[in-house]
Amino acid sequence: MIEVKNVTKKYGKFLANDSLDFTVRPGEISILVGPNGAGKSTIIKSIAGLLRFQGEILICGKKNKSLEAKRNLGYIPEIPALYDMLTIWEHVEFIARAYSLENWKDRAENLFRRFELEDKKNKLGNELSKGMQQKISICCGLLPNPKVLLFDEPLVGLDPHAIKELKTMLVEYKQEGTAILLSTHMLDSVSEFWDSTNIMVNGKIAASRSREEIIGTGEDLEKLFFEITESNKNAAEEVKS
Amino acid sequence: MKALGYLLLTTLKNRVLSIRKKPAYLILYGCIVAGIIAMIIISALSDEEVQTVKSYGDIRILYAILTGISILFLFSFVSTGLSTGSTLFSMADVGLLFVAPISSRKILLYGLIKQMATTFLSAVFILYQVGTIKNSFGLGVGTIFNLFFIYAIIIFFCQLLSIGIYIFSSGRPERKRLVKLIFYGLFAVTALAVYLQYIRNGGTILEAVLNLMNYKPFHFMPVMGWAVMFISASVEGNVLYVVIALLLFFLSSIVIISLFTSGDADYYEDVLNSTEVAYNKLQDVKDGKKVTVIKKVKIKEEQTGLQGGKGYSAIFYKHLLEKKRTGRFVFLDTYSILAAGSAGFACYLINSEFSVYIVLGILVYIQFFITILGKLSEELTKPYIYMIPEKSIKKVIAASMTTLIKPCFDAIIIFTFVCIFSKTSPLLNLFLALAYASSGAIFVSYTLLCQRIFGGQPNKFISAMLGLTLFMAVMAPGIGTSIAAILLLPKAFTFLGTLPFTFCCIVMTIFVFAVCGDLLDKAEYTGK
Repeated sequence: MIEVKNVTKKYGKFLANDSLDFTVRPGEISILVGPNGAGKSTIIKSIAGLLRFQGEILICGKKNKSLEAKRNLGYIPEIPALYDMLTIWEHVEFIARAYSLENWKDRAENLFRRFELEDKKNKLGNELSKGMQQKISICCGLLPNPKVLLFDEPLVGLDPHAIKELKTMLVEYKQEGTAILLSTHMLDSVSEFWDSTNIMVNGKIAASRSREEIIGTGEDLEKLFFEITESNKNAAEEVKS
Repeated sequence: MKALGYLLLTTLKNRVLSIRKKPAYLILYGCIVAGIIAMIIISALSDEEVQTVKSYGDIRILYAILTGISILFLFSFVSTGLSTGSTLFSMADVGLLFVAPISSRKILLYGLIKQMATTFLSAVFILYQVGTIKNSFGLGVGTIFNLFFIYAIIIFFCQLLSIGIYIFSSGRPERKRLVKLIFYGLFAVTALAVYLQYIRNGGTILEAVLNLMNYKPFHFMPVMGWAVMFISASVEGNVLYVVIALLLFFLSSIVIISLFTSGDADYYEDVLNSTEVAYNKLQDVKDGKKVTVIKKVKIKEEQTGLQGGKGYSAIFYKHLLEKKRTGRFVFLDTYSILAAGSAGFACYLINSEFSVYIVLGILVYIQFFITILGKLSEELTKPYIYMIPEKSIKKVIAASMTTLIKPCFDAIIIFTFVCIFSKTSPLLNLFLALAYASSGAIFVSYTLLCQRIFGGQPNKFISAMLGLTLFMAVMAPGIGTSIAAILLLPKAFTFLGTLPFTFCCIVMTIFVFAVCGDLLDKAEYTGK
């Protein structure tokens, strides 16, 4: 479970996240949507414990920077960060050793098979395309079988097979009780499996909806997204003029 | 050609105009130009005053330096040509020009003009040496301008050669072998020529090198010989040889250019890779990352895997594996050998009881720049180290371990050489080695301190200032007490002179690690 309580993040004078509050429950897929620069990546990095912030973030009831929280956390960054001199199998071996995982090889083999990486085990990180690097980054994030998963734009750069496989896996993790937070620009690609959404604009949550609410009111997520973001843009232009 | 002319002129115009928005650069450029002008005027005014009475250095030393620079550039650019190649283009040129309906030859010409301008600008620093060169060798301002000119030509030609070699040998091992053979042959002939001078005229090897500079056949050796021919002819006022030297450079350039333009030769594909490599390097520099030349590494099944580590120690084992991949001897690399060789040679040349301390000082200074770009800095550019569920201090120590160990190995090999060449006692060299290894540790702790204070993106200026202050604060007591110890201790105990310095470094390192060990809990990950 992810609990974000009154989180504010500033870069100098720039307010990247402004008093954010939301929760992602076990077995829930929550999506963060919003235009570029809305603060989606910042809050994901803050939850992952990579940034300093004001407020409180709990992972399974523990402070996000505690060791207990880190054990339950998987983070897949927007830009894959691989080691040039490690083969892709050594990347998962490194994660397994660093997280002190037992019996990890079968899981790793399974992930490699699903992402069609089996024949590339001995390729170095710097020999792979961006899409391939993204697949390894996902494998590294998923290998410890975390209870909380953070995905920052995970579908960018993936081939259609990998996109399909990742979507299936997200649903599987959800069914196993994992809390999943995912930021994306591609509303279409997540439409079939999201449970809750937070639409972010200028570092704030402009609207929150659950799937039930959308179905109940007959709202359309895409329409709602454009209504919020466009009205914000118009308001900003009016202030300027 | 209109579009290319427009591009060149607009780029130049915008570059000049952009300086208006950067007052610091404006002042800097103004100072550089004013400095060069002042240097030239002062040199020109003092032309007649001193020339008649002062005795100048052997001009052949200048030729030898020029030869050395030529060899250095040749070696560097030929190596680049055999791996990734050089480029005349930017990524914007690739994306916008290569696909435009413009002749590839015109685009090449555009690239050459652009590169030539960059090269000449980068050679401007030679003009700063006007005073030194004039006072040392008694050359006129005109000859010094010729020196600037030939220096720029050498760089430009070597870049062109690098592209030519890449196009000629890319993906063809037999051609790569041929290029290597030619260049090793060229260096072997030069070494042989020095040896022949040594046999013929006697004296020292240094004198043989100087004699070679006046040996006419040497002037026809590609690049280095041509450069010496040009500058010696301009000193002697021999116009014929000035023209011959320039012609040799010009004709060779034409041959190389024709390699990528003749027939159906298509240079786009070849320069594409080089441009991407250059672009990535530039991005790394802009992001403040360490620029490394990525070697093509062949992975053998039996050489894979981390071989150990659990929790935080997995980071150390990963670094060991990475080091094995980049060098056969893990902790000993080209730097170890070069530093050991140079230190030994320097001790042999200086031949003073203090030579070992001078060598230690220089090595520690160089070590500062090597160490601050160590494995810990590299690891902080990726999110994994922050995410691993272990205590920050343990992860920081594990990530610094290889950077702490390397100076120990370097120290052993370097001071073994120093011991042999300086003929000083093994005990003294043991303590010098300890001082070198401990200074490596203090520099690792400096990296940690900078990251802890400034977070993921330490401002380079502040970081450099802090580094200097820290350098002084940390080193001064150690250096001071060590100098005092060397001077005051009885001769039998001078080997202990560096001990206060070593002690100071170790204490300070432990202190910084204890205070800043929580770095990963406090610092922000920026990916840079």
